[in-house]
Amino acid sequence: MNVVGLFFYLFSAICVASAFMVIASRNPVHSVLFLILAFFNAAGLFMLMGAEFLALILIVVYVGAVAVLFLFVVMMLDVDFAELRQGVLQYLPIGGVIGIVLLVELVLVLGGLSITPEGADLVVQPIPDMAETSNIQAIGDLLYTKYVFFFQMAGLILLVAMIGAIVLTLSHRSDVKRQNTATQIGRDPATAVTLHDVKPGEGI
Amino acid sequence: MEPGTITFNLAVAIPELMLAVGAMVLLMIGAFTGEKSARSMHVIAVALIAAAAAVLVYTAPEGVVFSDAFVSDRFARLMKLLVLGGSTFAIAMSYGFARHASYGRFEYPILVVLATLGMMVMISADDLIALYLGLEMQALALYVAAAINRDSLRASEAGLKYFVLGALSSGMLLYGMSLIYGFTGHTNFAGIAEAMAAERQLGEIFGIVFMLAGIAFKVSAAPFHMWTPDVYEGAPTPVTAFFAAAPKVAAMAMMIRVTYGAFEHAAADWQQIIAFLAIASMLLGAFAAIGQTNIKRLMAYSSIGHMGFALVGLAAGTQTGVSGVIIYLIIYLIMTLGTFACILAMRREDGLVEDISELSGLSRTHPMMALMLTALMFSLAGIPPLAGFWAKYFVFLAAVQAELYVLAVIGVLASVVGAFYYLRIVKIMWFDEPESGFVPMASELRLVLGVSGVFTIFYVVVAGPVSSIATGAARTFF
Amino acid sequence: MAVETTAAVQPGLSIGFFDTGGFFETYLLPFVIMLGQSVLLLTILLIVVAYILYADRKIFAAVQMRRGPNVVGPWGLLQSFADLIKFVLKEPIIPASANKGVFLLAPLVAGVLALSAWAVVPVGPGLAVADPNLGILFIFAITSLEVYGIIMGGWASNSKYPFLASLRSAAQMVSYEVSIGFVIITVLLCVGSLNLSHIVWSQLDGAGTMLGLPSSFLDWHWLGLFPMFIIFFISAIAETNRPPFDLPEAESELVAGHMVEYSSTPFLLFFLGEFVAITLMCALTTILFLGGWLPPIDVAPFNWVPGVVWFVLKGMAVFFCMAMVRSLVPRYRYDQLMRLGWKVFLPISLAMVFLTALVLQITGWAENRPDPASLAPTASVSSTLHST
Repeated sequence: MNVVGLFFYLFSAICVASAFMVIASRNPVHSVLFLILAFFNAAGLFMLMGAEFLALILIVVYVGAVAVLFLFVVMMLDVDFAELRQGVLQYLPIGGVIGIVLLVELVLVLGGLSITPEGADLVVQPIPDMAETSNIQAIGDLLYTKYVFFFQMAGLILLVAMIGAIVLTLSHRSDVKRQNTATQIGRDPATAVTLHDVKPGEGI
Repeated sequence: MEPGTITFNLAVAIPELMLAVGAMVLLMIGAFTGEKSARSMHVIAVALIAAAAAVLVYTAPEGVVFSDAFVSDRFARLMKLLVLGGSTFAIAMSYGFARHASYGRFEYPILVVLATLGMMVMISADDLIALYLGLEMQALALYVAAAINRDSLRASEAGLKYFVLGALSSGMLLYGMSLIYGFTGHTNFAGIAEAMAAERQLGEIFGIVFMLAGIAFKVSAAPFHMWTPDVYEGAPTPVTAFFAAAPKVAAMAMMIRVTYGAFEHAAADWQQIIAFLAIASMLLGAFAAIGQTNIKRLMAYSSIGHMGFALVGLAAGTQTGVSGVIIYLIIYLIMTLGTFACILAMRREDGLVEDISELSGLSRTHPMMALMLTALMFSLAGIPPLAGFWAKYFVFLAAVQAELYVLAVIGVLASVVGAFYYLRIVKIMWFDEPESGFVPMASELRLVLGVSGVFTIFYVVVAGPVSSIATGAARTFF
Repeated sequence: MAVETTAAVQPGLSIGFFDTGGFFETYLLPFVIMLGQSVLLLTILLIVVAYILYADRKIFAAVQMRRGPNVVGPWGLLQSFADLIKFVLKEPIIPASANKGVFLLAPLVAGVLALSAWAVVPVGPGLAVADPNLGILFIFAITSLEVYGIIMGGWASNSKYPFLASLRSAAQMVSYEVSIGFVIITVLLCVGSLNLSHIVWSQLDGAGTMLGLPSSFLDWHWLGLFPMFIIFFISAIAETNRPPFDLPEAESELVAGHMVEYSSTPFLLFFLGEFVAITLMCALTTILFLGGWLPPIDVAPFNWVPGVVWFVLKGMAVFFCMAMVRSLVPRYRYDQLMRLGWKVFLPISLAMVFLTALVLQITGWAENRPDPASLAPTASVSSTLHST
């Protein structure tokens, strides 16, 4: 076994184990932390495949941003997990059946590929050989040239989602004092301060 | 691949680009001027969509661009024109409501513009990914539009229901797409058709079933219609008017392109599914509408029934059938918009009313409106020589020509049953004792109602050109 | 400080490095070499941090007309080491209700992450433990993870003030990361490579060359991308939780922020992580905008000085600015901080990304620019760059 194989098994084993711990750990914050560990190992697997850009972007986006928001929410929630867990045994059989079905399907797909290798010819190879181009260039060519239409559409869909979230949730409360930075900065002593010559004992 | 290769022919997609950029500009204007600009936003949005329609008709060339994902042909252009028209009138009709705080949000016209953009992409989609992106874009905008009056419990419920069921249908659609892609190895429609030409596998059939089920959700064909009555009833009426018109046309156009473009060699398989959808929708539309007292709910069942009739033409699988569907969509769009103009005019001092009984004696309080609404109701029921009759005539003709006699007979029977509830409205308007009248009709509603009523009554005059346009568009697929 | 590395056998991040061959030559030897480099780098970093801490306190004191640390060693030079020994010798206290595992993990995460980013920083031509192709992205990824130390520490303490502070600072760091990301993108647009050495070499050619002063300080990116330089500097201060953006610590309201419950070595690790992150940001500013190890003017007395010296001098200058900002500017209120990040920096940096790309496209500089790797002046250096 060469070192790449060794690292592959190391990363995948930790990845699977931490994925299991995500659903098995008692504390939701621990679950999120294990999820982060799983992301890291997935990034490691990307690295082994030579997809360094994807690996680092996975860390930046999922670990650096998405999981932080997860942690935020989970930390502020007061979830009683002992209670949530009560139905586990009840749903275990059905969950197990679904899991086994998925496993069998995966085995069938992979088995089919190894039994009839010509099936793999159906798969379109969208990027040139990695020897000719770099990671980023290949992704860029696909995303911004070949599939620019899909990319822009996806952007617009996200815009719609953002508008929707704002329309449905943002409320401008009228009974809140807001500060206007421009007017605050724009104030000068001439308009803000007046000097009074106050005689003793009289007040203004 | 050099960066220079990005210079493909953007002219083909200029109307879409106009809407996308225009929506963002509108958003910026709205964000900086706030709610007080809601009414002027309606005007600008109408102008924007009208401009896009003009460009579509006069300058935008036909062609296939974006790695074969986006096609603009005669069919697409006609359907886009219909969608643009439906959206224009829908925004125009909501203009009067823009001053109400609850609906008068500047985001509404923007959402309609974005939904229209999504529909245009759906119509032009020549690739599964483009189809899905367009569909999601219009669906997301519609979910938000349904719940835009967020202080109303019913509107929020409608939005949520629409969202949950829409997500379910998207899931089914995606599942079908992944099966199709897995078995054919293509996302492009031409590639799928080519792969299916040789032999068909079981997985492809499953894929077709799931995809058609997902699309049937969007056209609200039974048995995937469950969301329609609740959403129509719960959403604010101007929004319902929009829902009933353009999205139906877009979803139906997408269905035509998927069945005749991607699955053209599997016609024998999908014809059975479409025929089943058609029969179920026609019967449900006819019988379930009888007991309704709310006019928006009634229109929901009516639209389910009409989609069933349109599907009859699709099930025929011939060029006559497709042109029949196109004619049906044109007429349905115009009739629906006219009817909703009337529903929007059902307003007393204290707000909109939605009960059918409120229309009683309309012939004496508002004779002109009553006359137009009567014409529309007769037309929806399919009584000659009004437009609705011709719409049904062409689809049934196609079914008979394709020897689908059972389908045609059930269609005619459903049409007779359906006539009952349309005629009931006419009876209420002309023979019941009047209640207090509505507030005078707004001018934009009058315009829509007038155009729609005149078109419906004098359809025979324009029947020739409409038929030839529809035939020309249908020829795209044959 | 000289991290004399024989860069020819650097494995870096690229995995294609592994191939068949003798176990010793292929795996063990590079591993040992890399280990040695890392230990060397670590030692130097710790010494640098100690004196940066001292400098920080001295500058702060000087501005306030105090004397600052002056008791331990001559002029107080050994003060930081005294502090270090004090922290290590103290008894570590773990609160009874704390989540023990996470509580102890948090300072480790903070310390180790900050140190690991230094692995890819080139302090001189070819002087780096590793010089991977995606170096800048690696650093960006690591800095985006530094928030975890704070957020985990705050939560695991199971106490109000640390928790509030960690929420605050997580929001703060995530916010400023966005603008840092955009600033980095503008620089990358001008360079055409994500390799840190290439970023430095590309600054041999720029505005100064056009003005007739080739290879001078006018060539560096600070001039061509001027507003971005300022935004990066301020965002770097916010990202490292330095005053005036030190709301995570905010002694006046939150006692000592996420570190309230920490003592002894865990506290030291947090502290260390913070200061290593500060040195990293200084180094990054130097590389991105101040020409890295390049001399300010390419004439006789200046270009005799080794690049490392220039690098350290520039980094120190940036740190001096940070220390001056700390002592001169009052602390921002939290809403002002967020407003600055989201409403000022984000739009400006986004617009600059757009503008930079537009200018590069219209002028054709992007297509005609030389390959960044080829800008390296000597053959030996460029060969080390290509080896990664």
